[in-house]
Amino acid sequence: MSKLKVSHIVETSVWIVIIAVFFAFSFEFDQEIEIYIFGATGWPRAVLGILLLVVLGNFFHLYKKGSEEQQGRIGITDDDEVISYESFRSVQKLVAILLLPFIYAWSLKPVGFYSATPIFIALVIMLLGEKRAKWILANTLFIYFLIILLFMVLLNAPLPQGNVSPFYDFSAFMLTINTKLHQSFNF
Amino acid sequence: MIDNFLAGSLALFGDPFSISIFVFGVVGGMLFGAIPGVSMLTLAAILLPFTANLDPAQGVMLFAVIYCTGTYGGAITAILFNIPGAPENAPTAFDGYPMTRNGQSGKAVGAAVLCSAIGGITSAVVMMAATEPLANWAISNIGPPEIFALVFFGLAVASSVGGRTLWKGWISVLCGLLIATIGQDPVGGINRYNFGFADLAAGIAFVPAILGFFAVSEIFVQAEKKAIGKYVAPELSLDFPTILELWINKIAVVRSIIVGFFCGILPGIGATLAAFMGYGEAVRWSKNKEEFGKGKLEGVISSETANNAATGAAMIPLLALGLPGGAMTALMVGVFQMHDLEPGPMVFYNSPDLIWIVFAAMFYANLSILFIGLIETKTILYLLKIPFQFLAPMILLLSSIGSYIGRGLVLDVMIMFGAGIIGFLLRRSGYSIPGIVLGIILGKIGEQNFAQGMQMVHYDIVEYLSRPICLLLIVAGLLTLLTGVYRALSFSMK
Repeated sequence: MSKLKVSHIVETSVWIVIIAVFFAFSFEFDQEIEIYIFGATGWPRAVLGILLLVVLGNFFHLYKKGSEEQQGRIGITDDDEVISYESFRSVQKLVAILLLPFIYAWSLKPVGFYSATPIFIALVIMLLGEKRAKWILANTLFIYFLIILLFMVLLNAPLPQGNVSPFYDFSAFMLTINTKLHQSFNF
Repeated sequence: MIDNFLAGSLALFGDPFSISIFVFGVVGGMLFGAIPGVSMLTLAAILLPFTANLDPAQGVMLFAVIYCTGTYGGAITAILFNIPGAPENAPTAFDGYPMTRNGQSGKAVGAAVLCSAIGGITSAVVMMAATEPLANWAISNIGPPEIFALVFFGLAVASSVGGRTLWKGWISVLCGLLIATIGQDPVGGINRYNFGFADLAAGIAFVPAILGFFAVSEIFVQAEKKAIGKYVAPELSLDFPTILELWINKIAVVRSIIVGFFCGILPGIGATLAAFMGYGEAVRWSKNKEEFGKGKLEGVISSETANNAATGAAMIPLLALGLPGGAMTALMVGVFQMHDLEPGPMVFYNSPDLIWIVFAAMFYANLSILFIGLIETKTILYLLKIPFQFLAPMILLLSSIGSYIGRGLVLDVMIMFGAGIIGFLLRRSGYSIPGIVLGIILGKIGEQNFAQGMQMVHYDIVEYLSRPICLLLIVAGLLTLLTGVYRALSFSMK
């Protein structure tokens, strides 16, 4: 009897769509290479072909055994344990945790590392359940200054400065402080 | 050899500035390896421009020392947080992290310290004694067909560990191979799958992908547990493994040294495949296979001995042939080039001082893992006491910096977070993250060597398989693959 669930069909469909998209895009670079008969598409299409076979094998397993783990497999972590959400708030929290880093990454170009980072640290701490304002503030400042000390002062690492005022001005201010520090300690 | 080694040691320890660079490399490599989110590659990328001001021997020595100690340092994060510091530490997490969950973190980290030192020291000694003959052997016996065959065997081994089923193990590996096809093809330089982003012409950068799949996805997994109230903080333990426990695993140590050294010596293969193969062979020869992945000390020992055994061996193709064995040795080529030097056979004749300072430094760096590592371990273990809500933003920030620094692109930070979300979803569905990462690393190497091999034999498959080492590795890979498929199908049919 089939043990297929909707999630299994979705999983298989996602892989097939990925294979189809990559196969379709392979025609964009379907050019011959004079010294190599398989051309630029040979390897990716071979990978896609094998991937399709393996996805079908996986579908067969899902059909017969559902999500059951194959006996004798090694190195499986406990991520596989069933996770159930008891409240909508937990789902909201997880979505926020997944999206926040993207917003931070997107903000790096206009806002810059120096301005965006303290806000990001505070928001992550809050999303992960810390409610005490003093702890949030103290840890935000501690992590921020630790990172600045290591990467800006000690290693002089080039970090995004932003291109929108007043964030850009703040980055410039931080870098001026860094230069003065280096000059006074003769780094 | 002894005379040269002593001369190298004297040059290293006779100059206070060289000593300070050595100490900086040892401590920096260990710290950057052991801080979740950054790795020895982050440190190396930051330091590369500064090496222009150093003497060539000091520059190469600094990177070689970081390579040795950073490879060990990455094991700590793999064991404590399930975040491998580098891809070569990924198999260490298979058993190391379950050991932490079982309250045996001290035992796992202690074994990693000792075995990294043993693997690294042995490898350094063999490297000093046999770089030239081994390089000559490699030149005459190892070509693109053998390297492709080893990649195939390695991927077959990787697919057999990590995923919930064999199919998921293979899908993970193939997914990594597919990601590796993004960017220019290695034969004709034609752009593939750049989807309109000019920055993708150079491919998906290696560091953001690794940080995303390993570090960020782990933060998301733990954050999810925190959100639903299922998060359990790992226990701190300071009990180191006993001599008896290590003695029981002596065969695993010797086997991993051989496997690690063999993988390290092959150009382009490096420590990552060594660690997977070391772990895979430990499973293959064990009488208690079912205990692996649940917190078996032998798993940590095999993986950590093999990856450190590969560090010395990886210097052989770099120094003797000018071929880097991985990302870190590729950065070392950068150091050579900054000083108008080319690694290769002529280095032995033109700059013997440089070679022996580097050899001596690697030997002492591995030795220092044993002493500084044991002290550092006791301190690092206290990282487990930091509440997750304060550790997580630090790891996410360090990962962002680590991703950005390589190429100075915000796109890489986005790729890292994208890889984090994909990794999180794939882990929830039982796929293997180390499998994906190994696919990404070996994809380009495999394709390039397959193409070169095919051109060498004029597309004649019989001639391709008439090379004994190539045939042996292909057969071993096929056997691993076919037995796996047979087992998976029989399990599904039951």
